[in-house]
Amino acid sequence: MLLLQQLLNGVMLGSVYVTVAVAFTLTIGVLNFLNFTIPTLFMLSGMGAWALTKWGLPLVHTPPFPWPMALLFAIVVTICASLVVERFTFRYMKTKYGDATEHAIPLVSSLGFLLIIENLMRIGYGTEAQRIAAFDWDNTITVGGLFLRVPQLVSLLLALLLVAGLNWVLKHSRIGRGLRAIAENPDAANILGVDSRRLVPVIFTLTGVLCGLAGILFAINYGEVSPTMGEDIGSKAIAGMVIGGLGSIWGAVLGGLIIGIAEMLTIHFFGADTVQVAVWGLLLIALFVRPQGLLGHHSIGKGKL
Amino acid sequence: MLLEVRGLDVRYGRTHAVRSVDLDLAEGEIVTVLGANGAGKTSLLRALQGAVRAADGSIRFAGEDLTHASPADRVRRGMMLVPEGRQIFVSMTVHENLMMGAYLRSDGDWMRDLKEVYDRFPNLAERRDMKASVLSGGEQQMLAIGRALVSRPRLIMLDEPSLGLSPLFVNNLFELIRELNRGGISILLVEQNTAMALETASRGYVLELGRVVLADTAEALAGDPALAAAYLGGHAAAPAAIQTL
Ligand SMILES: Nc1ncnc2c1ncn2[C@@H]1O[C@H](COP(=O)(O)OP(=O)(O)OP(=O)(O)O)[C@@H](O)[C@H]1O
Ligand SMILES: [Mg+2]
Repeated sequence: MLLLQQLLNGVMLGSVYVTVAVAFTLTIGVLNFLNFTIPTLFMLSGMGAWALTKWGLPLVHTPPFPWPMALLFAIVVTICASLVVERFTFRYMKTKYGDATEHAIPLVSSLGFLLIIENLMRIGYGTEAQRIAAFDWDNTITVGGLFLRVPQLVSLLLALLLVAGLNWVLKHSRIGRGLRAIAENPDAANILGVDSRRLVPVIFTLTGVLCGLAGILFAINYGEVSPTMGEDIGSKAIAGMVIGGLGSIWGAVLGGLIIGIAEMLTIHFFGADTVQVAVWGLLLIALFVRPQGLLGHHSIGKGKL
Repeated sequence: MLLEVRGLDVRYGRTHAVRSVDLDLAEGEIVTVLGANGAGKTSLLRALQGAVRAADGSIRFAGEDLTHASPADRVRRGMMLVPEGRQIFVSMTVHENLMMGAYLRSDGDWMRDLKEVYDRFPNLAERRDMKASVLSGGEQQMLAIGRALVSRPRLIMLDEPSLGLSPLFVNNLFELIRELNRGGISILLVEQNTAMALETASRGYVLELGRVVLADTAEALAGDPALAAAYLGGHAAAPAAIQTL
């Protein structure tokens, strides 16, 4: 029973990894670019939700926001931050050198954004973990002897819904076809009139939505956020993405869930100290056995949607 | 003139791939551009479509200056390039590839154009929902041309469409080009198969090291020994192709 409970917890934890892993997959798949700001955007959303419920907006001194508004606002802020990142990493390089993907510079400058935003948060709000009082309500239900926390259930469903929606858009809409065309052959897409300057911000907006959602889901689930909350999630989401198959959205879903379950089971059997060893051990084994990932069809380095 | 190119230059860093090229194409014409490997044919076509920037010179299409227009704007005005090596999307289905040709179409009629492409190429209709990667080389070329047709172009620019096709298929291809032209589409044709290209086109330009060294009617070019000379130092098959003229 306890084991079953842990499995369930693993799936719930995995839903946060899933959302972040899908965000990574999207930028790698379409732009061939590992966006290092993703964990920061995730943190920004969580910390933002906390700061808004506790203090309101900084600098302009509004009263604290009621929590539903704070959550919504946190997502909006995250989307805006993601578009700023796009403007100063990807687009800048693209207009300056014609092709951003051939250069390591967007990668490095996205790393720069990660450090800057994280440190701004530390300066503004300190390094300690912060509890969000608004989420200290009792929200567990019991089903057949298993404990289920309502927000976790909601986050899992939301994550799956979002990913299914995203997948549909990529498969069946005009914008989706444009994005897949850029992913496979940017040059041919360009010749046919697919304007990447207009589609790339779509990717970064979606990244903002995914990270924003993941950040507030994390905040609701654990009731606690910190400026470093993105680091751990980021690395595990990358591990999940690779295990699931680089460039496959459903692969990212599967991989994220696997990492969540592996983490919970490791804690159950061996204690919390061994989690990192287990997760990265799993990744290495997966790479040896199936380098293209569980659902991927290309091997590493050729991420295509 | 439908297309008027004046003093066009294309540079890649120090490489000067296209040098001061003048080229005209009247509505309804088939014009061919010939030249050895590396002469700058692909660079010329890519500059016309806006895939590479023109370092100098001007491009006018249907009376409008498009020198600095985006590829999307050129597609909207009726220019469409069928690129060297086809460049179809192998991860997409045949149908999705054709829909990419209609990417910028906002009128409702593109479905009809797509159906016309299927009528014209029954092989593609049969393989509609298959991944484009399973198509044969000839079918891939049909798909690349079909994709261009769905954009309803006034001018199609074909970059070595016969490359890698069997002789029978090459005949069909040139027949198709003439047919499209009779249907009102102007054609700018880059070819290594000079014999077939000069049979099909009314006029031709010969490029050498990025420069136009000959510009004449197709008949005159076919008999001109200077054409063969332009290919010396080009790839080995070219002189043989000239002899068959
Ligand atoms: N992207 C590029 N970067 C740098 N140089 C290039 C690039 N594309 C072409 N070149 C150079 O420009 C010149 C013209 O090349 P281009 O591809 O236009 O010739 P081509 O006539 O199409 O040749 P082919 O018959 O082999 O297709 C060549 O010297 C080539 O090396
Ligand atoms: Mg070429």
